[in-house]
Amino acid sequence: MNWFRNWFRPLFARRRIYDDLSEEIRQHIAEKVEALIASGMSHREAEYQAKREFGNVARIEQSGREAWLWPRVESILGDVNFAIRQMLRNPGFTATVIITLALSIGVNTAIFSLVNALLLKALPYPHPERLGTIFVRFSGPNITNGDLRTNLDGQMWEQLRDNVPALTSALTAGLTSGGSLQTAGQTGQAGGHAEYVHSGRVSASFFDVIGLHPLLGRNFSPEEDRPEGPRAAILSYSLWHTAFSSDPNILGARIQLKGEPYTVVGVLPRDAITPLDADIYTSLQASRNGEGGGTNFSDIVRLRDGATWQEADTQIEHAFAVRTARFYSKFPGGSISYYTVPLQMGQTRQLRPEALALMASAGLILLIACANLAGLTLVRVLHRQGEIATRLALGATSWQIQRQFWIENLLLALIGGAFGLGTGSLALRGLLHLLPEHFLPVASVSLDGRVLGFTAAVSLLTSIFFGMLPALTTRKIDLRSAIANHAVAGGGIRLRQALITGEVALTVVLLAAAGLLIRTLVHFETLPPGFNPNGVLAAKASLDDAHYRDAAAFRKLMSESVAAMNQIPGVEDAAVGLNLPYERTLNGGLTISDGPQAGHQVGADQIYATPHYFSTLQMPILAGRDFAASDGPETQPVAIVNQTFARKFFQVSNPADAIGHIVDKTTRIIGVVADTQLSSGLRDDYTPLTSEETMYIPAAQVDQGLLGAHVWFQPSWIVRYAHPIEGLSAQMQRALSGVDSNLPFSGFYSLNDLMNTTLANQRVEVALLTVMAGLALLLSALGIFSLVANMVLQRTREIGIRLALGSSVRQAMLKIGSSGLGASALGLLLGLILCVFALRAMRSVLYGIGVYDAPTIAAVVLTLTAIAVLATMIPVLKIARVNPARTLRED
Amino acid sequence: MPMAPITKPDQRDLFRGALEMMILQSLRRQPMHGYALVQHIKQRSNDLLQVEEGSLYPALQRMLRENLVQAEWETSASNRKVRTYRITAAGIKHLEREVSSFEQMLRGINLVLSPVEP
Repeated sequence: MNWFRNWFRPLFARRRIYDDLSEEIRQHIAEKVEALIASGMSHREAEYQAKREFGNVARIEQSGREAWLWPRVESILGDVNFAIRQMLRNPGFTATVIITLALSIGVNTAIFSLVNALLLKALPYPHPERLGTIFVRFSGPNITNGDLRTNLDGQMWEQLRDNVPALTSALTAGLTSGGSLQTAGQTGQAGGHAEYVHSGRVSASFFDVIGLHPLLGRNFSPEEDRPEGPRAAILSYSLWHTAFSSDPNILGARIQLKGEPYTVVGVLPRDAITPLDADIYTSLQASRNGEGGGTNFSDIVRLRDGATWQEADTQIEHAFAVRTARFYSKFPGGSISYYTVPLQMGQTRQLRPEALALMASAGLILLIACANLAGLTLVRVLHRQGEIATRLALGATSWQIQRQFWIENLLLALIGGAFGLGTGSLALRGLLHLLPEHFLPVASVSLDGRVLGFTAAVSLLTSIFFGMLPALTTRKIDLRSAIANHAVAGGGIRLRQALITGEVALTVVLLAAAGLLIRTLVHFETLPPGFNPNGVLAAKASLDDAHYRDAAAFRKLMSESVAAMNQIPGVEDAAVGLNLPYERTLNGGLTISDGPQAGHQVGADQIYATPHYFSTLQMPILAGRDFAASDGPETQPVAIVNQTFARKFFQVSNPADAIGHIVDKTTRIIGVVADTQLSSGLRDDYTPLTSEETMYIPAAQVDQGLLGAHVWFQPSWIVRYAHPIEGLSAQMQRALSGVDSNLPFSGFYSLNDLMNTTLANQRVEVALLTVMAGLALLLSALGIFSLVANMVLQRTREIGIRLALGSSVRQAMLKIGSSGLGASALGLLLGLILCVFALRAMRSVLYGIGVYDAPTIAAVVLTLTAIAVLATMIPVLKIARVNPARTLRED
Repeated sequence: MPMAPITKPDQRDLFRGALEMMILQSLRRQPMHGYALVQHIKQRSNDLLQVEEGSLYPALQRMLRENLVQAEWETSASNRKVRTYRITAAGIKHLEREVSSFEQMLRGINLVLSPVEP
């Protein structure tokens, strides 16, 4: 037990050990003095010599104490204690540092949480590294080159499923409009009740691929996934809980979904995560016809045991040979290849560059903050030169001084980091609040261990960054001059100016980037809408229902529901349309039957609409007439096209000249309406909003093909009102229920909501980058301010002398002020040069403006100049109050 | 007042192990207090070795902690309150090990330093 006694004795007996040590040293010196006196020295001489020969008592005691190990910890605790006292003594400095850190680390924490959730965190499925999805790479003339996640049609799906043995493949429907679920009478719930549910349509192997086992029952069987096979459903845990009261006997129950009976075959576990996040899952039953006739499906694949991705790629290449051959015949000289990529990468491909750009911007904020903090701590070290010199003279080693400063920095960084974590989590919550539902392809964004580690690492790194300069400075402190001149030397100004220049340059880049994004958003938001978005409420309902696959039932619903909406007091106009402006629409093919392009196959957005759709939206009819009640299934097929359609396909500049043209052999153009903004599906440059060729078809003339679009899209009921109507949404629901009691609305929207959803990406980018640029600006202003304020303080005496010698206040102000303004101007210039290179990377996210946008640059220059002047002027104005006589007397 | 640089008297510093060995050896002969230790080493080495008094106490503290020596407050013959150090069994073992390895090292050094034969 010796070791025990030796290690723990100090804990209890430390005080005594130290006292013994001090006492025996005292006795030692006393004995020596006595001996020296005995040898004939005077008392004073003896004392002096004894002490001299013994050495520095304090230091020897210290190193004696260090033998007991604990003192090391204790002396660090002492340093920490001292550091805390220093921090409390300068609350202004401490608060500035901590707030700066909290904001800059907070931004980094929030953005890193996103990056972590999107790019780093493993997908929440077993063996996520074996999950993948198929990409396609196009290259060659006349086609858009690049890589993108491919969608599959029915034929490709069959090939993938049956001829790629290296993979277990699963399919999901790209768009799903959901449907109504009737829960009445199944589990003893009283009364007819229909609710809207998010449904996910998946192939048989879907849950096997993502490695999910149902809590109750089983996954879909291949039989249930066969076209026209038995209809089966798997419930999410929450739907099972809410709609079926967690009925343990639910398996085998028949439920009424989308107007048809489905058999419940499974219930998912409570915490199940799927890429679709639906309330209820049904088997997709993909075939080569209908939906499967086009590339409307997305795939998820899992590598089978023993297989490699290379094998899978080779097999895919082979399986898709028919499609590849078709491509080569269409695009001679082009090249196409299909290959697998990890699922996570496939899902986040579009967000990846944005996430990384945001992370880089957050990094810039951190750099700016570090520059500021380095400047601030540098000033403080210079202020404490006297203290440092005194400690050095009293025997402190340079390392001890350094250690003290590092501990202070570390402590500040850790406190700042803790606050940063707080602000970061708040910022993250705000950010997630800003995002529309299902915007991110991940189930949750959380502050997990990796984020905590990141924040801790960033805090440490920050303390090193901003502590390095001042620490280097303390090593150069000249003992003699520091003690002799109590006045603080004006050193470090150059260094601080360089720091300001650097941070202003980075701020310029962030400001310009934010400016360009704002301009892009403004560009979209101020596009001529082509209709009046105010005073309209839209409600959506899913018509993916067995009942409405019949055109007559659909026509009846349209006319009766619109009539019922028109009965609501205060409603001026009402209509139904498959899609509204700002939304993604159905892209269909059609043939131009006359005019200069007769015989051409073209693609256009297709929207069915009831009469008064245009008047409800106040979309001007430029020529011809609106649909009428008389346009029915038995009469001449008619269509209304927008201006772009008329110009592009009939090559007429006057809308009236388009009237009477024929498409698809029999359909007669009866009107031309103004262009509106749509979320493009035709163009592949990802432009969020554009006005493109659109054809409107009367709802009463919709055929089976167009009714099939209800699988993907929910039509909108729109009403226009002059004055807000109390309880309008409830009244609309009642009006619809009067026609079909089983038809629930899935949601109510203003046209602005729709625009915001479409522009969500842009809005999020703008919000994030604006906050960051604002932060950078604030930090830069703080940096300039503290530089100049500090110079004013340091030079008060010099200014006093200059004023006494006849220099004017203005000259003194100019001299001091120019230090801040000069550094800022240089930074501005440097920043603009940086912009030339940095902003090029933004080209792909800018619309309606160029990368080098003069108004943006001008705004950046003006903003920065104004802030720099303000930050300089405030402290400089103090000079006017300098009283030469008093400053001189003070010394 | 300008600070004069603190210079050390020109003498060989003892390395840590050597000081420990001499302390232990001295204590093995008889228990002693710190001041007496300094005097003892000085005398035994015919004034060739000058123990820096300051370095003695940290060394004693280390040896106390490692249980090589024990200390006791006593009253000396001259009626002075002194802290007397005694070597422990562990101290004796440590000393013997150190001395033998030191001698080995010394032999080695001697061999290397011995004059080159013609």
